[in-house]
Amino acid sequence: METQRVICDVLCVGGGIAGLMAAIAASENGAVKVVVAEKSNTMHSGAAGMGNDHFQCYIPDVHGDYEAFANDLLYGQFAGRISAMGREAMDFWFKNSYEIVKLWESWGIPMKYEGRYEFAGHSFPGQTLNHLKYSGFNQKPILTKQAREHSVEILNRVMVFDLITDGQGKVIGALGISTREDKLIEFEAKSVILGTGPCVRMWPAPGLQDFNRPLPPSCTGDGRAMAYRAGAELVDLELTAVHAGPKYLARAGQATWIGVLRDRYDKPVGTFLTKPNRYYNDMTLEVNKGIFNEYIKSGKGPIYMDTRGMSEEDLQYMLYWMKHEGNIELIKHLAEEGIDLRKNAVEFMTYDMHIVGGIPYNSKGQTSLEGLYAAGDEWAGGISCAAVFGWSAGKNAALYATSVTSTDLDKVKTDINTRKEMLQDLRSRKDGPKWQEANYALQQIMRDYCYTVKSEPLLEAGLETLIRLKEKTHQYLMAENPHELMHCLEVFNLLDLAELVFVGSLDRKETRGINFIRPDYILTNPMLDAKRHLIRKGPDGLPVTEWRKI
Amino acid sequence: MPPVINKEKCKACGICADVCPMDVFFGTKKGEFPVITYPEECWHEGACVQECPIEGVIKLRIPLQMMICYK
Ligand SMILES: Cc1cc2nc3c(=O)[nH]c(=O)nc-3n(C[C@H](O)[C@H](O)[C@H](O)COP(=O)(O)OP(=O)(O)OC[C@H]3O[C@@H](n4cnc5c(N)ncnc54)[C@H](O)[C@@H]3O)c2cc1C
Ligand code: SF4
Repeated sequence: METQRVICDVLCVGGGIAGLMAAIAASENGAVKVVVAEKSNTMHSGAAGMGNDHFQCYIPDVHGDYEAFANDLLYGQFAGRISAMGREAMDFWFKNSYEIVKLWESWGIPMKYEGRYEFAGHSFPGQTLNHLKYSGFNQKPILTKQAREHSVEILNRVMVFDLITDGQGKVIGALGISTREDKLIEFEAKSVILGTGPCVRMWPAPGLQDFNRPLPPSCTGDGRAMAYRAGAELVDLELTAVHAGPKYLARAGQATWIGVLRDRYDKPVGTFLTKPNRYYNDMTLEVNKGIFNEYIKSGKGPIYMDTRGMSEEDLQYMLYWMKHEGNIELIKHLAEEGIDLRKNAVEFMTYDMHIVGGIPYNSKGQTSLEGLYAAGDEWAGGISCAAVFGWSAGKNAALYATSVTSTDLDKVKTDINTRKEMLQDLRSRKDGPKWQEANYALQQIMRDYCYTVKSEPLLEAGLETLIRLKEKTHQYLMAENPHELMHCLEVFNLLDLAELVFVGSLDRKETRGINFIRPDYILTNPMLDAKRHLIRKGPDGLPVTEWRKI
Repeated sequence: MPPVINKEKCKACGICADVCPMDVFFGTKKGEFPVITYPEECWHEGACVQECPIEGVIKLRIPLQMMICYK
């Protein structure tokens, strides 16, 4: 296998919102050579690839008193994640969000609607609206252009799969593969920023097609997995979430729908809205996205997003934002199927489960490892989070890089060669299971042993099977081309993370929220509210957990 | 399965293969018509449709199992 060495000051792994913002900031803060390694193509990659429309932010002239604004942040879809970050990081996020709004505006991303800052969605009636409506359809091409204008080198079709440390816990580079040709890329970097986005494909898809997912199926938690293997701490990995949206055409972006959730006979499901409202989506869904499954199980039948009764202006308003939300193909499908949202109600469903825990980073983007930074969906989530923390991580990684004198990869040649041999094994096997088999086997285990309801005997049994699957996968998996090699490495990452989900679940002896139910520990332990559940690789290579105060 | 390319109008510029976030067009050669190697890996977000320089050349066909439910 051909090997290429790339030497840089700052390496951004993933060219999503966080990665591109980090790269631009690094370049503005003195890093001479900044590289973005992107698994696909930064033009439309990641969760934000075809746009977003909600930018959660604090604008002093609109919101006034920050404290009142901050109190309201602790309700709604992202409340759990925001509070898990702690007050300092939360304040940093929102106090810096307006700067990014102005920056993006100056780069040509429309942050105003009809000349004003428009806020709507993701809030309960009466609550402060904290999501700015912005027209993000073209954001990725614009950010890509900005990165190039800042002399950032973008390497598309490169999947980074492991970090390189100096043996003492300091990150000095990373390894990647080309997803188009047989090539190993050794990155020698003074600092590395992880921005690989969410973790999809660990649990089965909502319908009978694996890539029909609300979040991009190309994001498989690679950053979390490689950080763990390098010795970094991960947090709350066993805590999960589900999305919800149109039945069978899985798309994120439910808060853009102007409608009321109603049952088959038009009875509202929740208590927040009785008629469609342009500024407030039906928050029933954000309180419990599993409600669609629950209704069906309890015999109450399907639930519809009832958009009927809204005005023509509201319909046009909603369609405008759906396009910017990345849902242009959904709009086309509705039209092709003859679905008129003023006359028809679309059935909604609960989508697949995904992990929400990740790599804890602070307001500087620092992780628990020296030289390693992270941002965006590696942990918390949302566009403004990715933009604000990506920007900060880029700046701090660049400043750190100026203090690093040597990053000699040749000192850890054996480590690199072991990984290279693993790649060659995968590519040279002539028969054996392909990545799909391993991925489906994993999803099956996660569905049957580690879904919402978990208990000690079930988790123990599932973990045993998972370990067997992991061993077989490493022994026999084969890849016929570099594209399949990428998928094999993704599956290895998913398997590593799944093991941590099991270990973390066994150690969390409580019930928490609606997605973590332990019938053997039915109480929620308030003593764990202000604690992080950390997991890292122990000296014997096995995961160890720890509860630490936020 | 998606995407569907109108070969009469396609100029084989390769932009769809270049931008596709899932690399559905893996194996497409420069200057040749795009090949749809992994249709089952399409995310249906429409990047290829959006970036294609000629309107109407690429269309996504939503698979039957993704047909939306409504009343
Ligand atoms: C349809 C949709 C609508 C949404 N709407 C909103 C909204 O309105 N408001 C909001 O706040 N949030 C929204 N979200 C969520 C939001 O898009 C994400 O929170 C945000 O994009 C996270 O940014 P990120 O940079 O962390 O990850 P991403 O933008 O997902 O970027 C991750 C990048 O890493 C790359 N990558 C992954 N693995 C590797 C690897 N191993 N090597 C190299 N590269 C890799 C990926 O290809 C991708 O480019 C939406 C999501 C979707 C799917
Ligand atoms: S819709 Fe997206 S994933 Fe599907 S072929 Fe087009 S660019 Fe690729």
